[in-house]
Amino acid sequence: MLAVRCRPSSFCSLRRVLLKHHVRAEKAPTGRAPLFHTSTRVAKAGVNDTLIGKYIAVKDNIVTADQPTIASSRILDGYTSPFDATVVKQLRAAGAAISSKASLDEFGMGSHSQTAFEGAVRSPFTRNGEALSPGGSSGGSAVAVVDKSAWAALGTDTGGSVRLPAAYCGVVGFKPSYGRLSRWGVIQYANSLDTVGVLAGSVADAESVFEKLDHHDARDPTSLPATVRKRLMPCNKEKPGPLRIGIPREYNISELTPPVHDTWISALSALRSAGHTLVPVSLPTTRQALSAYYVLAPAEASSNLAKYDGIRYGQRTPGSDASPAEGLPLYAKTRGEGFGEEVRQRILLGAYALSSEAIDNYFIQAQKVRRLVQRDFDRVFIARNPLIEPTEMPELEGVAAVDILITPTAPTLPPTIAELKRQTSVESYMLDVFTVPASLAGLPAISVPVPLSPALGDSMDKHDVRSVGIQILGQFGTDSLVLHAAKVLEGIYARP
Amino acid sequence: MNVPGVRFRPLKALPALLNRSRATPRPCYVSKWLQSRGLQVSTAPPANAVPLRKHLKDEAKRKKADAKGLGGPRRDGAVTARLQKWELTVGIEVHAELNTACKLFSSATAASGDITAVPNSNVAAFDAALPGSQPQFQVATLLPALRAAIALGCDVQRKSGWDRKHYFHWDQPNGYQITQYYQPFAKDGTLKLTAEDGVPREDLLGAHSLSIGIKQIQMEQDTAKTSHHPPSNYHIDYNRSGHPLIEIITLPHIHSPQTAAAVVRKLQGLLKAIDACTTGMELGGLRADVNVSVRQRGTTGSLSYSGVAGLGQRTEIKNLSSFKAVEDAIVAERDRQISVLEAGGAIAGETRGWSLGSTETKRLRGKEGEVDYRYMPDADLPPLFIGNDLIDHLRSSLPELPDATMERVQREYGLTEKDARTIVALDNGERLEFMEATEELLQPRLPTNDSLELGRMAGNWVLHEIGGFLTANSLSWSDLKMYPIDLADIIAYLARGEITSRTAKQLLEYANDGSTSRGIGDLIHDLGLQRRPLSDDEYTELARTIMNENPGMVAAIKEKGQKGKIMWFVGQMMRRGEEETIEPEKAKEVVERILAD
Repeated sequence: MLAVRCRPSSFCSLRRVLLKHHVRAEKAPTGRAPLFHTSTRVAKAGVNDTLIGKYIAVKDNIVTADQPTIASSRILDGYTSPFDATVVKQLRAAGAAISSKASLDEFGMGSHSQTAFEGAVRSPFTRNGEALSPGGSSGGSAVAVVDKSAWAALGTDTGGSVRLPAAYCGVVGFKPSYGRLSRWGVIQYANSLDTVGVLAGSVADAESVFEKLDHHDARDPTSLPATVRKRLMPCNKEKPGPLRIGIPREYNISELTPPVHDTWISALSALRSAGHTLVPVSLPTTRQALSAYYVLAPAEASSNLAKYDGIRYGQRTPGSDASPAEGLPLYAKTRGEGFGEEVRQRILLGAYALSSEAIDNYFIQAQKVRRLVQRDFDRVFIARNPLIEPTEMPELEGVAAVDILITPTAPTLPPTIAELKRQTSVESYMLDVFTVPASLAGLPAISVPVPLSPALGDSMDKHDVRSVGIQILGQFGTDSLVLHAAKVLEGIYARP
Repeated sequence: MNVPGVRFRPLKALPALLNRSRATPRPCYVSKWLQSRGLQVSTAPPANAVPLRKHLKDEAKRKKADAKGLGGPRRDGAVTARLQKWELTVGIEVHAELNTACKLFSSATAASGDITAVPNSNVAAFDAALPGSQPQFQVATLLPALRAAIALGCDVQRKSGWDRKHYFHWDQPNGYQITQYYQPFAKDGTLKLTAEDGVPREDLLGAHSLSIGIKQIQMEQDTAKTSHHPPSNYHIDYNRSGHPLIEIITLPHIHSPQTAAAVVRKLQGLLKAIDACTTGMELGGLRADVNVSVRQRGTTGSLSYSGVAGLGQRTEIKNLSSFKAVEDAIVAERDRQISVLEAGGAIAGETRGWSLGSTETKRLRGKEGEVDYRYMPDADLPPLFIGNDLIDHLRSSLPELPDATMERVQREYGLTEKDARTIVALDNGERLEFMEATEELLQPRLPTNDSLELGRMAGNWVLHEIGGFLTANSLSWSDLKMYPIDLADIIAYLARGEITSRTAKQLLEYANDGSTSRGIGDLIHDLGLQRRPLSDDEYTELARTIMNENPGMVAAIKEKGQKGKIMWFVGQMMRRGEEETIEPEKAKEVVERILAD
């Protein structure tokens, strides 16, 4: 047996750095001090374990028993969970130290990590002196990896919340298949979509964290049981060889900016030069997927966030909630003051989508679109979807079938904070168009940073991110194949 | 008492299917932490609880009035005329707390019936809706629900689902209740009632029984318990939060308040008998909502509920917590609706409330105030699949239902319907078991009697003799010290004429006063309690004494030939003689012989 103990003293300065970047220090509740020391027993066989002594930042919507978890919301101000999330427990058991709780968009609702109660997350990158968006909602986790205050970070991805900040911060962001990592202890936003993901400096690092967490958890009723995991095994053992890479036509949209477009094309050509096959494919419901997502996610959010009433925990507006003045409904004051603007907006949208007058036209339609999106993917992947009965499987595209799909993660480079402020909600929702389909179908997806071409790179501010997130998608359960393809892509651009 | 053999077996041994996964956090964590928020209440007895005894008494009174043809309380001519014109239709939703070891979606102890439990002590993370917690369906909670569905003759659905019903209330920690809205687990059952269940004769329409359709049964979570501390403080106890309930929804097949109460009473009895449910209405384990509408007889209304068409506009009365409340609330609401309609008004589809002792229902909220529950499938919970093998197993191991037991007791033991009903209902079935054991022990003791005779004897003693003994001494059934073998001995000695019935009653007292551990045979022998028959001379002497005292009667027989008066002398002898020592045949023989001299 080997005991690992990290001394807390050496991290004091680091803590200040962390707080500066991800959490506004003055709003940091006491007790938020990251607990670095960890005492973990590791079996002898695990001495060479990759996570021992590694610092891992955890998104603040994943509960930890030793530090507050507030999901960057005022309504949970001061809340410390009585238990650790399963993924946190697994990290601790593997010898890792939880270095900090990383800020997010309140409850994960946003794409730029600007709506946190404790203050916006600042990207380390700037463009002509102007601050850039770090991406969201796992912006704090991405920044922690960029500034090396954490070796890797856990995020959550509901519609792109791990992949988008990874793309905007130039790191790797991996969203596994839905159900592979436990959600016990993950504060729900849209629970049929929420997935724990990993942000890291390299695909190998992200993979090593993923492997530690990839186990069935009886506490999460949506965790894939051992029987299904066994069925996934054949996909995992796929021998690396030339890949059949699909390029979805529908992803070549008018909103795609030239740097992203050119980098996507150059990555694809490089892969073809390396002996892989490119295949154009069609995913016709891509556009509708975004609309479906923005019906389903708020609908589930309106339900999942109904528990925040200020009674058992968190923030409560003083006075009587039972008989509020001004004829307001129950909890109106507490919830009105506890939630930020974006959260309130999504709760209202979701409540409407589920109301008896609208459910047929919104929620039910969106569920149908979700099924169509899944069928789109099932038609193009060679690997069969293990969750679907073989009889219900759509006809395979034949010659057009592929191992993986490669797309940009986002249509643009990170916008500046100033540009964001001029955007409407719909314009900002638009950013999720490439990430949402994989979320709806529960597929594994990873964003790998691909450097801009020298010509493009030279023309840009050297403080800019200077890379484009390229997304690799695979069939449900083919997480290993997706990680393998990501390493292939990463390898092409690795400096000798 | 040193008696070999029969001690009653423990009733309804529940197969404790404790399917406890190692769910964290342990309930006490949450409890400590809830208590640190000051969410603690002092347990108060449930409001409106009517003691069971009082219930039974009221029920008996009502039945008596019913039997006299009054058909219910305060029914004067005007009311009768009204009811001849208007027809009442009622549907009921009964919420019953299931008898389970743990909650529906957490491994916390389900002890809501246990009023001694410290408030907020049986609470898992999910029961308090802690951020990041998820439901874990506890398979064992399905068993009592399935027993109820089978007992009510429902089609158990192979696949059912879980849905969230959203509304804000402080007793609802998640902001929604998990229920089975779109796909309930059981559909299409029936409940059969007879006059003995309390159905008025006019509802039976000459038939022996009445069938009420069960539309569906669904599983769902109970809410937390709140207590109001005026003006505006509420204390919340989450021990009940997440306790499994079944909601049983009847079709609108009920046409009188008494039948409605009978349905709820019968459901309670049934659920208890199959161990689906342990606490009844008196402890808040069962609550009922009723839907009430009226229409003029001979007309059809324009509305239909649950596929039953032609009904009038209905209102719903929520949260009735006693049989009496069910009956009284329906009477009040029926009368209100008729008055409104007769005055030319219209009934609004609304939710109304009723408090015990009032004469009117009160409007709680109208259509416009109705909550849109925004039912949504719970994405965390996979569908529930129930296999036929499980249903078959439960069906074959289902305890006998009360109606079947009653029928069997009448058939096998020769008891009257009334006695059978009583013995089945009393003391949780323990009297029935005692009687059955006694009858079995009587068979070798009285081999010439048939089992119906033995059953009647045993039933008579268990119900009436032991019952009388307990009442006379202000004891309850659990105070009884004797065993079935003691009672069998007493009955056998008595039936063989070896003891008198007075002695038999005396033995009942000896066997229960705790003063002796001797068996009945030993007691009779040691105390000299055997019946001693009179000798021929003693008969003659007694007869002569009486004749000497009544020369007129002797003359009437001898001179006028009034043979009938012989029996008068037999009667006198039996009265004079020591109890049960005079056998009438022998006495008649002796009297005739003397008179013939």
